[in-house]
Amino acid sequence: MTRYKLAGCLALAMAAVGFNAAGIGAAHAAGTLIWGMPAETDILDPHATGGWSTYQITYQIFEGLVKEDLTDATAGTPALVPGLAKSWTISDDGLVYTFSLREGVKFHDGTPFDAEAVKFNFERFWDESSPNFYPKAKAFVIAYTKWIKSVEVVDPMTVKITLTAPNYQWLRQGLQSYGQPLMISPASVKEYGNDGVAAHPVGTGPFKFVERDQGVKTVIENNPDYWGTKALLDKVIFRPLQDPATRVNALESGEIQMMSPPWDEIERLVGEGFVLTTNENVPFINYIHLNFNFPPMQDIRVRQAINMAIDREGIAKEIYAGTARAEYGMLSPGTDAYDPNFKSYGYDPEGAKKLLADAGYADGLKMVFEIPQYGTGEIVETWIQRDLAKVGIDLELRKYEWVTYLGKWAGGMTPDIAMNEIGWGMSTPAWIGIVARCDTIAPNGQNSGAYCNEKVDALLDEAIITADPKAAAALYQQANRIIMDDAAFVPVVDDMQPMMLAPNVKGFVNPPEDWFDLSIVSIE
Amino acid sequence: MGAFLAKRLLGVLPVIFGVSIVIFLLVQLAPGDTATVLLGPQATEAAKEELRRALGLDQPLAVQYFQWLGRVVTGDFGTSIATQIPVLDLVLPRFINTLILTAASLLLAVVLGYGIGLVTALRASTLFDRIATSGMLMAGSAPPFWLGLVLVLVFAIDLGWFPVSGMEDFAGDGGTIDLLHHLVLPAITTALGPAAIIARIVRSGILDALGKAHVRVARSKGLRHRDLLKRHVILNALPPIVTITGLQLGYLLGGALLTEVVFAWPGLGSLLYDSITARDLPVLQAATLLIALAFVLANIAVDAINAMLDPRLREI
Repeated sequence: MTRYKLAGCLALAMAAVGFNAAGIGAAHAAGTLIWGMPAETDILDPHATGGWSTYQITYQIFEGLVKEDLTDATAGTPALVPGLAKSWTISDDGLVYTFSLREGVKFHDGTPFDAEAVKFNFERFWDESSPNFYPKAKAFVIAYTKWIKSVEVVDPMTVKITLTAPNYQWLRQGLQSYGQPLMISPASVKEYGNDGVAAHPVGTGPFKFVERDQGVKTVIENNPDYWGTKALLDKVIFRPLQDPATRVNALESGEIQMMSPPWDEIERLVGEGFVLTTNENVPFINYIHLNFNFPPMQDIRVRQAINMAIDREGIAKEIYAGTARAEYGMLSPGTDAYDPNFKSYGYDPEGAKKLLADAGYADGLKMVFEIPQYGTGEIVETWIQRDLAKVGIDLELRKYEWVTYLGKWAGGMTPDIAMNEIGWGMSTPAWIGIVARCDTIAPNGQNSGAYCNEKVDALLDEAIITADPKAAAALYQQANRIIMDDAAFVPVVDDMQPMMLAPNVKGFVNPPEDWFDLSIVSIE
Repeated sequence: MGAFLAKRLLGVLPVIFGVSIVIFLLVQLAPGDTATVLLGPQATEAAKEELRRALGLDQPLAVQYFQWLGRVVTGDFGTSIATQIPVLDLVLPRFINTLILTAASLLLAVVLGYGIGLVTALRASTLFDRIATSGMLMAGSAPPFWLGLVLVLVFAIDLGWFPVSGMEDFAGDGGTIDLLHHLVLPAITTALGPAAIIARIVRSGILDALGKAHVRVARSKGLRHRDLLKRHVILNALPPIVTITGLQLGYLLGGALLTEVVFAWPGLGSLLYDSITARDLPVLQAATLLIALAFVLANIAVDAINAMLDPRLREI
């Protein structure tokens, strides 16, 4: 009988553990938001990393001279507002930016923020001759720093930055560059070294860094000495939860209060009372680079046919469960140059077939589509494969793990590959130059399909030196029109950044940006 | 016994050395470039070249490998390329978390496997035997990622008895009870597969031993059932069972890595995934070495237990 007793004891012990700890876990500390993130974020050094998921944390800890206002969900593009600079002027020739700094601001380590701190930070990510220079930072902030000629301290609260050429998108480029020129405490960099910022992020923001247990959690807490409107939450905990099903379960059981939901669970979760937020004006699009080095792709009829063969509306509605919108141009919706009425090629499989026949491919055409492996079954890509099959294009999906893929994408496609894809963009329309200019053809830039039209380059050159935002927007729209007339890319959808919240999360704003201002959020 | 153990432990070194070479070469075979990962898509070729130089990635493979080996021998596993955290600070806590899950699963697998195996053997061909054997077969055949989700749906979401994920309650005070509470579902998920295999082996081992001539003789001499089982049946059946149990440890470690994803258990699984994605070779090397070491040591332990049970094995 002994063995039965043992099994019984084990069951009892397990049940006891279950009941005991259920009691402990029920109460939540007031004002703590736990966010279940789809992946562990990169290092918390804003100069030396890239990627929206990391900014979702660093945005709360660090600030730049200029900030985006992320408290307005209805704005088409986030307004540029004073951050650590209380004001700034731009010289008439567009070359000199003079920043008047905010007084009385302290970093989280208690050291003061002033012009010397600004200079130190610019030395770190820009000035190769400085002992404070950090090559990795420069590699990330390059889109911003490549315009800088000099940085001068005028007085303890004034900094003057001179550019090599006029660029009226420069401030926005700073907020969207792959690395961000945010202000890090010079004392902390001196104490921990350039590599040490990763583990000791010290900024001026509404939240202070507390601890990070790599792969488990990153914790930030309210900064009671913040110069501006203080954050409402006591604490935010960022938890990497790789598996989408685990994230959903954690939300339903109350272990987390916020997450990006898998598309197929949205309807059910909303039905259970969870709150879905989206934004139509996200600063990125999901699109396909067509490879101009793949011989059949040099025929515009083939590129047009591919554009016409894909049912974008169907993808947005069926796969994204309505949390995406079909996109027909290459300007991200979050830019001030975006035109929601812009149309290029609508869904027209019959027209596509005819164009392919005219181009001499009536009997069909074989192509290779390089894609990253998302681990979600690559459902959009399979849809595209099916759509192209209907017009006679036999599309082979060639999947690569993300790092491998990124290397291939950044290196440019070889002539045997027809297309690849990415989701990218910025809130400055100047981004279009990064992927579509003749001088950014990979590997010199991220024009992975080697598209080149000098008219586009000339318009983009003119746009960047145009001070009037409306006139600049018109130039970017013209460039976009030429790019799509050339059928150089296949814009597919704008993913509207769905975020699912527990009903007790209040004040959350899903802005036209990839990251959020958590200082305005509270838990009831 | 001492000489036996010493001989076995010496054998660990070439195995670990071999594993380190294989991992090192495997990572080199994978396409993709550390510098591109670390510096992002906008980095210039010059910046990437400089980083490769700084990390020593421009050196010939053999040089890179022996430099790494030289440091490891002195206990220096280096710094993680991706996170800039010392490798051991990153890997050891995660390894311990994986060991906690593996140890709990092993305990559960042994208790369930031996218990059910013994009972079904003693009641062979009864209704209980059939139900228990097919039940275990079904539970054992379920893939851990599916089983984990089902357990979560039933016991965490519907019944609310256990937490969904992680190792601690972020809103609570932590502690051992909290850890055990978080451990129950992941441990069951990982343990059921190996438990089913152990149960089958135990059942057939015991049945086999029960049919042996010496057992029949002992029984006919009127030996008490309990003594008969203890001295003549279980002891004789144990060596192959212990060997199979030891082999399950490898499965448990592998299974734990899968279970970790479903339960967001902060073990080596997600760290391995992240370090492969980032081509973070120092972390990958250290993590795989620890796993290999754990596996080899566990097998030595199995050998030692068997040698204790069966003196003939000590001479091999």
